[in-house]
Amino acid sequence: MSVQRIHQAAALVLLGIAAFVMWQSWGLEYYTKLGPGPGFFPFWLGVGLAALVAVWLAQVSRPAGRPKEGAFLPERSGLLRIGTILAALGAMAACMDLLGFKLAMFLFLGFLLRIVGRQSWWVTAVVTLLGSVGVYHVFGRYLDVQLPAASIALLARFGL
Amino acid sequence: MDAFQNLLLGFSVALAPQNLLLAFSGSVLGTLIGVLPGVGPVAGTAMLIPLTFSMGPTGAIIMLTALFYGTQYGGTITSILLNVPGEAASAITCLDGYAMAKQGRAGVALAIAAIGSFVGGTIATIALVLAAGPLTRWALEFGPVEFFALIVLGLSLLTGLAGKSMIKALIMGVVGLLLAMIGMDPVRGLPRFTFGRMELMDGIGFVPVIMGLFGMAEILENAERPFAQVVLARMSSLMPNRQELRASVGPILRGSVIGTALGLVPGMTGSASSFLAYVAERKVSKTPERFGSGMVEGVAGPETANNAHANGALIPLFTLGIPASPTVAVIMGAFMMHGLIPGPFLFKEHPDVAWGVIASFYVGNAILLVLNLPLVGIWVRILQVPYGLLSGIVLGFMVLGAYSVSNSAFDVAVMTIFGVVGYLLRKLDFPLAPAVLTLILGPLMERSLRQALDLSQGSMAIFTESPIAMVLLSAAALILIAPLLRLAWRGRSAPESADAS
Repeated sequence: MSVQRIHQAAALVLLGIAAFVMWQSWGLEYYTKLGPGPGFFPFWLGVGLAALVAVWLAQVSRPAGRPKEGAFLPERSGLLRIGTILAALGAMAACMDLLGFKLAMFLFLGFLLRIVGRQSWWVTAVVTLLGSVGVYHVFGRYLDVQLPAASIALLARFGL
Repeated sequence: MDAFQNLLLGFSVALAPQNLLLAFSGSVLGTLIGVLPGVGPVAGTAMLIPLTFSMGPTGAIIMLTALFYGTQYGGTITSILLNVPGEAASAITCLDGYAMAKQGRAGVALAIAAIGSFVGGTIATIALVLAAGPLTRWALEFGPVEFFALIVLGLSLLTGLAGKSMIKALIMGVVGLLLAMIGMDPVRGLPRFTFGRMELMDGIGFVPVIMGLFGMAEILENAERPFAQVVLARMSSLMPNRQELRASVGPILRGSVIGTALGLVPGMTGSASSFLAYVAERKVSKTPERFGSGMVEGVAGPETANNAHANGALIPLFTLGIPASPTVAVIMGAFMMHGLIPGPFLFKEHPDVAWGVIASFYVGNAILLVLNLPLVGIWVRILQVPYGLLSGIVLGFMVLGAYSVSNSAFDVAVMTIFGVVGYLLRKLDFPLAPAVLTLILGPLMERSLRQALDLSQGSMAIFTESPIAMVLLSAAALILIAPLLRLAWRGRSAPESADAS
């Protein structure tokens, strides 16, 4: 896919978002006796976004406004690294309340440092322990930020 | 006299041991963020907001503002030692700073940059003290009509953040405003764009959005290539000689004036100040051809200007409640999270907070000067930490920061989604800064517009009845139309010049 096509596709996605915003705002009260309702501002923002994106789409579709060609996405190994980081973050968001902060962060940091960052075992162990158990206690005790404990009874029994 | 007495009150707050400790922590963390590759000041400040939840508002803002100008110092270190700017405002310092480092004068370059930053920051803070009284008195006359007009003017000036494409900047501005619409409607209290999710009732958290768009997107971009190890320049004595000090006096004074003045203008970035200061030094120099080969003036001018800019940019925030840059917008968000609205009422209702924070700028700048010169060696060692380790730790902190805002894993998911969005937007060459500013200003803008229209029972004529609003709105219209007029003028003059040739 050429870079120009990617830009055009992005413009179409943004146009879709603008249309969705206008449609959603239409369902909200547009104007009341006292003035604009909750739908007024988002509706006009949707219109503004659509107009601006249409101009951008026209710009990138003209031969003079064509974006520079080149690789848009990185090579396979780069994509793999990015995908791995995102998967780790997604898993962290999904499991944090279930496994508790200490275990989830321990696994998250351990994976990122050892598998993605290729750090030695001992560096990984020290950083993951400090970043999970250490941070949990420092944040809870000194900063009044309560991080989640495991909601699985078995894990909770182990103090996780 | 008034300002002087207020400042004394401020110093009594800023010099309290707890606040001194917070200014110190903020300065150290800010320098660290400035030094670390991949964590800019915007994401860094947002990431550390949750650390301040257990503090009082004064301490929290003292720490975050110290962190903000600390990043300016930190950015300099990598520019000089690595030829890699830690943040954009220090990019121009690479030219002469790195050249000095290659000659074995890295220590001198760092010392001059630190002295210049201290002087620039202090002069900008004096300007803030002097401007605070008159500007806040003026702004106290503002009602919702004038306040709406002021926000429109502030946002129109953000066209300065456009970068290569004005259309893309405007698109991002609208996207930020749309994100700000998520949650309860500020006047009627009805949910909008919440898709039935309770987590979105209070709106989308700006901390996870900003960390995603800036911090995570940067890490994803760096992950495209294998993580590389940095190579450092040689270090030498830190003390500049008398000749180098004398050569720096003029650039430091000029840089202070340029940075403070440009810092006042919303949308003007720190890099514009440092670039202009560099150009000014070249213009006044008897040997402009030697710039780029290790001239101390090429470090002193820009480094002073970017720190003066950072402090100057806080003037519109404190006096009018308008953030002049993305990082200042994040600080404004932090104010709001602590139940305070920056602007003229802050001086009236919470003088201890307002003046305490202002006085802490002097303290923070002094701490950075004293702290950073002896600590350069430590920062250098931190730079040598492998990026594979650093990025993991930074990601861990981001998860922690996103979660702690409202104790919800949902915010971690929001951060991840916006990380991907930010990564793709960078690839498409969209400037992200306008989205941050409109995300934070959006609710205030909508609220004042609707309050104004409530007052007039829906009549737009209310905006023409206030002379202040008319002036502000006309100025905003002129600023927005100016690029179009310039384009049209260029279009007309191009065929004429072609004819002439």
